[in-house]
Amino acid sequence: MNHVMVVDLGYGDAGKGTVVDLLCATRQVHTVIRFNGGAQAAHNVVLRDGRHHTFAQFGSGTFRPGVRTHLARHVVVDPLALAAEADHLTSVGVPDALDRLTVDGEALLATPYHRAANRAREIARGADRHGSCGLGVGEAVAYGLAHPDEAPRVVDCRRPAVLRRRLAALRDRLTAELGPLDAPPVEDCLPAYAAFARRVAIVDRTWLASALREGTCVFEGAQGVLLDEWHGFHPYTTWSTTTFANAETLLAEAGLAGTAQRLGVLRTTTTRHGPGPLVTEDAALPFTDRHNGTNPWQGRFRFGHFDAVAHRYALEVAGGVDGLALTHLDLAGPELRICRRYEGLDRLVPGPAGDLDRQATLTQRLLRARPVLEEAPGDWPAAVSEALGAPVVLTSRGPTAEEKEGPLVNAFCMGRAPA
Amino acid sequence: MGSGIWSTDVYDAADRYRRRTGKSAFSYSDSGARKVHSALDPRDALRESRDSAEHPQSTPIAVLFDVTGSMGHVPRVLQSKLPQLLGLLLRQGYAKDPQVMFGAIGDATCDRVPLQVGQFESDNRMDDDLGRIVLEGGGGGQMMESYELALYFMARHTATDSWDKRGRRGYLFIIGDELAYPGVKAAEVARLIGDDLREDMPVRQMVDEVTARWDTYYLLPAGSHYAGNRKVLDFWRGLLGQNAVELDDLDAVCETIALTVGLGEQAIDLDAGLRDLDRAGSTATRTVSKALARLGSERRAVATLPFSPADGASGVTRL
Repeated sequence: MNHVMVVDLGYGDAGKGTVVDLLCATRQVHTVIRFNGGAQAAHNVVLRDGRHHTFAQFGSGTFRPGVRTHLARHVVVDPLALAAEADHLTSVGVPDALDRLTVDGEALLATPYHRAANRAREIARGADRHGSCGLGVGEAVAYGLAHPDEAPRVVDCRRPAVLRRRLAALRDRLTAELGPLDAPPVEDCLPAYAAFARRVAIVDRTWLASALREGTCVFEGAQGVLLDEWHGFHPYTTWSTTTFANAETLLAEAGLAGTAQRLGVLRTTTTRHGPGPLVTEDAALPFTDRHNGTNPWQGRFRFGHFDAVAHRYALEVAGGVDGLALTHLDLAGPELRICRRYEGLDRLVPGPAGDLDRQATLTQRLLRARPVLEEAPGDWPAAVSEALGAPVVLTSRGPTAEEKEGPLVNAFCMGRAPA
Repeated sequence: MGSGIWSTDVYDAADRYRRRTGKSAFSYSDSGARKVHSALDPRDALRESRDSAEHPQSTPIAVLFDVTGSMGHVPRVLQSKLPQLLGLLLRQGYAKDPQVMFGAIGDATCDRVPLQVGQFESDNRMDDDLGRIVLEGGGGGQMMESYELALYFMARHTATDSWDKRGRRGYLFIIGDELAYPGVKAAEVARLIGDDLREDMPVRQMVDEVTARWDTYYLLPAGSHYAGNRKVLDFWRGLLGQNAVELDDLDAVCETIALTVGLGEQAIDLDAGLRDLDRAGSTATRTVSKALARLGSERRAVATLPFSPADGASGVTRL
């Protein structure tokens, strides 16, 4: 079935959205499957005619007619943000996004209580912020782990009495811990969740298994592997498994383990939004990002030279890829250099998943590390391919599908030109 | 990582979902349906356009469009445009009591849903039929679709008071980008429509039969696979003459249909129609003008009364 998994091998923002859009524009894609993260994802897709949408919960293939989105059970679903996103899609000519959406009923809900708690905690950290987006995704995951049988889930939106009870318990626990939260009363939340349940197809696990057999699916990762909850640089990580692991689990449940192509996305300039290690950071780099500015939760958008050391680490903890997509080649001028090793440190060695003390030690080391910068490569795809030991199958020089080229475009075209 | 740019306001969200309870036009298809919706099944069906106290002078207008893969995104654009058609006709007064029917054409040799036909409606109930249409997306690659089956259905399975009482033909618009098969196949008719046709019928004979009761137009839109292909246009020109029309802007489809009806009803001449469009702020004027320039001077054919259905085509004077 030619399923593809798309994962970011950096700190996010490398261009997963535009790669997923390209895949959906050049082949018959049945469904884009989101398998981690939640509404804090921000995957920008720009069409040739100038229309733009920042995909948060909808799959980045939604501009292409008929392509569905499935939110797997690993996604933290925010029905409130989803409604606003669907409205924006309507305004850019996609009125049927909600009709093409399925959501796994087991997925956790992100609620106003999670969001308020998330913000309260992040504010309390003061200068030591983790770079949270302030949408309560991590908070929802934490609550789900602590109270698996009482955490509000998508399917509860169909059962107002259950949902009321669970929201009240959630609110009470969080306020007991953090004090009063800036969030609406439970009764006021219920109509929105009920309206969501009436409008959106809530399904069980079997839906995805049959979709995977019906047509080609694209697994769209969120955030980046260097932010992974177990392998990222603790504590500047996200509460989400950002590697291929969840996607592989979903495939295995459908009896299709190991059948999907693994695609890693990188950009020529290694970036990070929010605090935490960015060894190659260089404030002198003359870049800005159209879709990532300074925001109160993550601060400014940070640019660095291509950090092959960090990306090689991401590649290793993700278990390797079949190909790389290299974006932002249009930014690769003489000032943008490549870092193949740090001073006194050639390689970051992956440890066992979940050893957070080890990860915190690694983080401390990285915060002190100094990059060894080499001259800008003349041939970026060749240099990146050589540094990471994986073929570059797609390159991109701009935001639209038409600005991509490489074997990946050709191999998957199946006779359809990008629309 | 992003920053959560979509509003998470709980009060606002409930409103947004309430406003958007309507399903998409192709919700039936998009939900995975792969067989004809019972409301659109042509089997043993008769589609009627009848006068009523409210609509004493019904004018039947049928719009059937190709939903196979060669049309690309065209069916979805049509879906988004066609609901405006009735409003446009009524607003401009181009037709008395218009009753509109939508249908879809596929390929009987390889598609699961080769023919779908809705009902004639005088209000927005026809939009429901649009929503029930299954989009094929396949197609045979032989540059032919089963338009002849649609012609057969329109000729033998429709009944209109416009014709029965007033001897006036209805309007049939077929929007597509390929050739018809050379003949109506009896086996396909039996399987899909349920008639025992005994033997196959040449497509030319079918066209003669359907044009007797329906003013029939073929619209070849821009953006479809074979648009601009002379072979397709020549084929339909051979069957329908100047009623085979190229349409270089799909966004103008409703205006083109509305003006064609207005011209046919002699409610307007082309210049007046184009002025109407301009005044209404339409951006489609140039497209419509180009598409209809050849039709503008044509006079609508009217049957001579009294008409007896047994006469078949003989009662019709084509001007």
